[in-house]
Amino acid sequence: MAKMFQPPKDSFQSRIKSRYFATRRDTIISIVFATFVAWVLWSLIGWALLNATFAPNAGDICREDLHGGACWSVVSTRWRIVLFGLYPFEEQWRSALACVVMVVVGVLSCLPWFWSAKRMAPLWVVGFAVFYILMRGGFFGLSEVTEQNWGGLSLTIFIFAGTSLLGMPLAIIFALLRRSELPWIARTMALVIDTIRSLPLLSIMFTFAIVLPFVLPDGWTGDKLYRVIVGYALFFACYQAEIIRGGMQSLPVGQEEAAKALGLGYWHRIGYIVLPQAFRNALPPTVNQFVITVKETSLVTIIGFFDVMASGRAASGTAEWNFAVIEMYVFVGLIFFVFVFSLSRYGAYLERRLGVGKR
Amino acid sequence: MSEPAIRIAQMHKYYGTFHALKDINLEIAKGEKVVICGPSGSGKSTLIRCVNRLEEHQAGDIVVMGTPLDDNVDNIDEIRREAGMVFQNFNLFPHMTVLENCMLAPVLARRIERSEAENTAMQYLERVKIPEQAHKYPGELSGGQQQRVAIARALCMAPEIMLFDEPTSALDPEMISEVLDVMVGLAEEGMTMVCVTHEMGFARRVADRVIFMADGEIIEQGAPDQFFDNPQNERTKLFLSQIVSD
Ligand SMILES: Nc1ncnc2c1ncn2[C@@H]1O[C@H](COP(=O)(O)OP(=O)(O)OP(=O)(O)O)[C@@H](O)[C@H]1O
Ligand SMILES: [Mg+2]
Repeated sequence: MAKMFQPPKDSFQSRIKSRYFATRRDTIISIVFATFVAWVLWSLIGWALLNATFAPNAGDICREDLHGGACWSVVSTRWRIVLFGLYPFEEQWRSALACVVMVVVGVLSCLPWFWSAKRMAPLWVVGFAVFYILMRGGFFGLSEVTEQNWGGLSLTIFIFAGTSLLGMPLAIIFALLRRSELPWIARTMALVIDTIRSLPLLSIMFTFAIVLPFVLPDGWTGDKLYRVIVGYALFFACYQAEIIRGGMQSLPVGQEEAAKALGLGYWHRIGYIVLPQAFRNALPPTVNQFVITVKETSLVTIIGFFDVMASGRAASGTAEWNFAVIEMYVFVGLIFFVFVFSLSRYGAYLERRLGVGKR
Repeated sequence: MSEPAIRIAQMHKYYGTFHALKDINLEIAKGEKVVICGPSGSGKSTLIRCVNRLEEHQAGDIVVMGTPLDDNVDNIDEIRREAGMVFQNFNLFPHMTVLENCMLAPVLARRIERSEAENTAMQYLERVKIPEQAHKYPGELSGGQQQRVAIARALCMAPEIMLFDEPTSALDPEMISEVLDVMVGLAEEGMTMVCVTHEMGFARRVADRVIFMADGEIIEQGAPDQFFDNPQNERTKLFLSQIVSD
């Protein structure tokens, strides 16, 4: 008898059948669509793999190639420019190592074990210091390479990491000031946030890169790269502050009242009750904000930095390789994809993991 | 006579222009159990929330365990540590386990060693009869269990006074008694208690004094027998007849 109450177990075939071939119209649509997908896939595989040229320095072969396959030769010949930009050739191992260090620090800080200020802070301080010493040199017998010569992937990673690291604490401070009990602080902060959010990122970047040196006294300006990072961080912070504030607003008032009634002071309430829950509530938009920030780093090309994007264009921009622009963009796109995709997968994992305590 | 646990004198509270509490004068002795009742909107919650500054009063004095409630943040924190509060909707911290809920304030606000705080927390969780739930999250517990955790969490701060704001009104009927049992036990141990509740059985059994409020004023107060069997004020009579007929 008990068997009767179990839901019938669908076989693979019957599932396929009920989903895609239930009626005659479904069948026709499914077949047409499957044919189309197969054709696109087949063409893609043919272009990207079967008919493609992989060997380095094979530009001539590519050009004469009648099959019309991809010329990955441009990547295998000039990948160093994409990854390292103008960084001196003999020193490029340093740039590569710096990237690896930063990626490792990034991955480590995704592990729950590091989720406390006591572990996170030293990790990033050490990670950043190692990155900087490797890239910039001038110590330990490493020759000096100034920021103007940084480029490619390591520059992109540096801008992204710097922006998040500076922007996130700033965002928290902005969000807290915006809900201050003193109305004039809250209003001023709201005005600042809304103003910056209503400006295009490009104008902020120009302001920090080009206008600021005229305004600030000499010796205050720092390298253009750091000014740009500060500009990015400010922009990031204003958006993220609103996201955090949204997360805080979705907390029931009773949470803070209970914390007050237990005698917890302001910073304890914020640090242990309000922010952890606000971040949980705001996780999806926060991951989204990071994804946007990764992609926005490529705007620095406009003020003369050679991030991955610009380096890619430069690598395929010579007369010898300019027929292979698409291949280069595909390669750069793949690099971005790896970062952005792992970010959003990590976000999904976090949502599942943090969901446990909620219910 | 020693200093009362709570002394409120000529206290007024306004929400904007709305006069929510009018000239409240009330002394509650150490070890005394006081039940506050009254119709909805009469200011019961506002009164006990003024005692630990969840609401600010605009005139008059409030002194809790000898500490005056003024704008000095240290005094406010001191009073909040001495006066535990239990809310209608429990207000447990959903992102922490039951045990972490109970340990948080002792570790942060009383600076007690974690191991000691854990021992204390387990002791109180046993008192409220749910030690086996210590490692669950609040969302995994029933309402009655959550409210008992909330009581244990407040007790872990070793308060001198416990304030209850309708602790059983959000509970299903079959869970009310498990929470009231804990509160009766607490009363028998001599805790100073101020309870906003309409549980008249509890009031009769435990209270030293019942206070009736209406429209932001204390209308009548007295020992439970006298209060329930022989109320003086017309509004008290009306109110009592309504809750009895419920
Ligand atoms: N934050 C607030 N802002 C404005 N008015 C408020 C606020 N909180 C309470 N009031 C008003 O103050 C009065 C007293 O409210 P209070 O919550 O103390 O009543 P209560 O006796 O606890 O009622 P209940 O039995 O419904 O809980 C009510 O008229 C209410 O509308
Ligand atoms: Mg109330």
